[in-house]
Amino acid sequence: MADQKPIRVLIAKPGLDGHDRGAKVIALGLRDAGFEVIYTGIRQTPDMVVRAALQEDVQVVGLSCLSGAHRILFPKVVQLLRQSGREDVLVIGGGVIPEEDVPFLGERGVQAVFTSGTLITRIADYIRENLPADRQA
Amino acid sequence: MVTVFDPERLEEIEKKKKEWEETTLRENLRRLGMSESPCQFYTPLDVRDRDYLQKEGFPGQYPYTRGTYAVPVYATPFGEVLEGGVVAPRAGQYAGYGTVEETRDLWRAEKRRGANIAFDLPTQCGYDSDNPLAEGEVGRAGIAVDTLRDLETLYEAFEGLTTLDGMVSNFTINAPCNIILAMYFALAEKKGVPLAKLHGTPQNDILKEFVARGTYIFPPEPSMRMIRDTITYCSKYAPEMNVISICGYHMREAGASEVQTAGFTFAHAIAYVQLGVDARLDVDQFMRRFTFLDFGGGMDFWREIARARANRRVWARIMKERFGAKNPRSWIMSGGDSIFVGPSAYTLQRPLNNLIRGVIGGVMGYLGAGFTFGGFPWDEVYGLGHSYEARQLSLDAGRILRHEAKLKQVVDPLGGSYFVEALTDEVEEEIWDVIRKMEDVGGAVEAVKSGYTQREIARSAYKFHREIETGERVIVGVNKYTGEEELEVVPPRLVPHPYDPKKLESAAERQLARLARIKKERDQGRVDSALKAVHEVAKKEDENLIPYFMDAVKAYATVGEICDVLRDVFGEYEAPSIL
Repeated sequence: MADQKPIRVLIAKPGLDGHDRGAKVIALGLRDAGFEVIYTGIRQTPDMVVRAALQEDVQVVGLSCLSGAHRILFPKVVQLLRQSGREDVLVIGGGVIPEEDVPFLGERGVQAVFTSGTLITRIADYIRENLPADRQA
Repeated sequence: MVTVFDPERLEEIEKKKKEWEETTLRENLRRLGMSESPCQFYTPLDVRDRDYLQKEGFPGQYPYTRGTYAVPVYATPFGEVLEGGVVAPRAGQYAGYGTVEETRDLWRAEKRRGANIAFDLPTQCGYDSDNPLAEGEVGRAGIAVDTLRDLETLYEAFEGLTTLDGMVSNFTINAPCNIILAMYFALAEKKGVPLAKLHGTPQNDILKEFVARGTYIFPPEPSMRMIRDTITYCSKYAPEMNVISICGYHMREAGASEVQTAGFTFAHAIAYVQLGVDARLDVDQFMRRFTFLDFGGGMDFWREIARARANRRVWARIMKERFGAKNPRSWIMSGGDSIFVGPSAYTLQRPLNNLIRGVIGGVMGYLGAGFTFGGFPWDEVYGLGHSYEARQLSLDAGRILRHEAKLKQVVDPLGGSYFVEALTDEVEEEIWDVIRKMEDVGGAVEAVKSGYTQREIARSAYKFHREIETGERVIVGVNKYTGEEELEVVPPRLVPHPYDPKKLESAAERQLARLARIKKERDQGRVDSALKAVHEVAKKEDENLIPYFMDAVKAYATVGEICDVLRDVFGEYEAPSIL
């Protein structure tokens, strides 16, 4: 464990939603939990998010959206990652996501959804447990 | 020293307090096995040096500690209408569903007599519905307004019910505010209503967009110039229109503490007032048209009450001493004196608990002598679109506080409390400290440019979350009392909402067709020359852009096209990295 390289995470805000409290808090929290975190800032297109993910060579992409556009934007990020041959990247999401949308997003490759009230320790544990073994290092 | 207490009596109190600590308190702690009391206790000694007339005074009088008005809003018939919380009195509830046609039909069915418009995010960010960046967002958080035609269609809702000079219009729009205002003015012209008879409030508070809400477009300086344009144009042609609604709420929701929210909001307000002063307008004239939204609120009951009381004092002093305003109307925060628990304190876990949190906010409002209501509907946590059941509960909560508990009987009931007065002083000092720090970094605009305010808010948000994570701050059902024996109470939401959410799915498509049609029908030559004029005038800092926006919108130029011209001249704001 000790000399393992830290897991790299991109926290991204696709769409025009400016509610970034959650995204920033998660970014800071994961950083404190030992991850290497890059935050895109707000107003990113799915394309910009994927370019950042590739450039930064992250293992995890965390998407945050509170405007209701998650049903369109989250799957698009997954799709673009797959098109770039990076289906190994773990994509998770958060924000104001109605419960009934969680399976919808799951079927489209968003592997977990964390909504309001989630402790960061839980997200950190989830990432560590769900990264493919060959991407752990 | 002017004090309301007799100095000899105070000495006696001091002696007696020591005795009490050594006897009654010590004995009580011994029995409980505690080394020190978990509670604070206040006596006249904590407020011994206060000059009542200088610090507190009377409601409706400087320095307004005891209330903005002699008769608080909560005791007036106006308050009765307001007690529904989300129901604004004349403009109606903040709303916008799918497309303008759908919202028009819904408003008409509700027989609305005022407009309180929620714009979708592309409109707020100055993108047309057909811009690739708008994908997924068209008609989502509100309605798309691409051209004047959209506003014309929306206002058909009021035909036969009221006219533009008999109604209030509120626009939650910031960066493209003056374009929307130009549309409203153009609409009035077409209907033959003089601009001087228009009433309404645009949000127009760009500084908080940079630091909290995120719908900015242009860099801070040209953004501030456009707010100056609103102030100068309206003071001349539309003197009954409010020009701005200064907001603390969004910063509080974004994670700022109650004291930071107050300090940042006042720093922003100072920058806006300065725009009018620099334009050589009379402060007492243009301040009539400055309003505040509110300062948000959290669950720290006593500090929130003290903050509200201190706020009134701080703002009055800023206006009277710093800006030399003479009219008492300039010393108050018109509309900014509401006290409540904001939705960021609401939890998705055991969501009916939010009703209780809302009611606590309602009580805070009465105790802080501000405007108050029964709280946001408990199901706010699920996103936009409260259920009718939740709205009913909030409405009734407000009514119960008012009529059954009779909280409206007294003005500022905590005035004179040793504890609350001492805390009000303490919180006031903390607010001044935030304002001073903002001045130290060069004022509100510089603070935005350097990312200072953004960093401060992010730091507070993270600190708050850390407290939840470590258990230092208890949130019932979130980080404590979460065992298996607890029951998840979720009441049903069965009364159907008149807006069918399925319509949302096709809203974007319909809006795109609308936009394409308008673009085809309009006189392109007229659009081009109007946009060219906007481009020329944008380069001249001293000129007012609003008349040129009016020419452009009348030719059915789109919000996106006008904003693109401005982007070309002003550039775009680039958020500083703050993590």
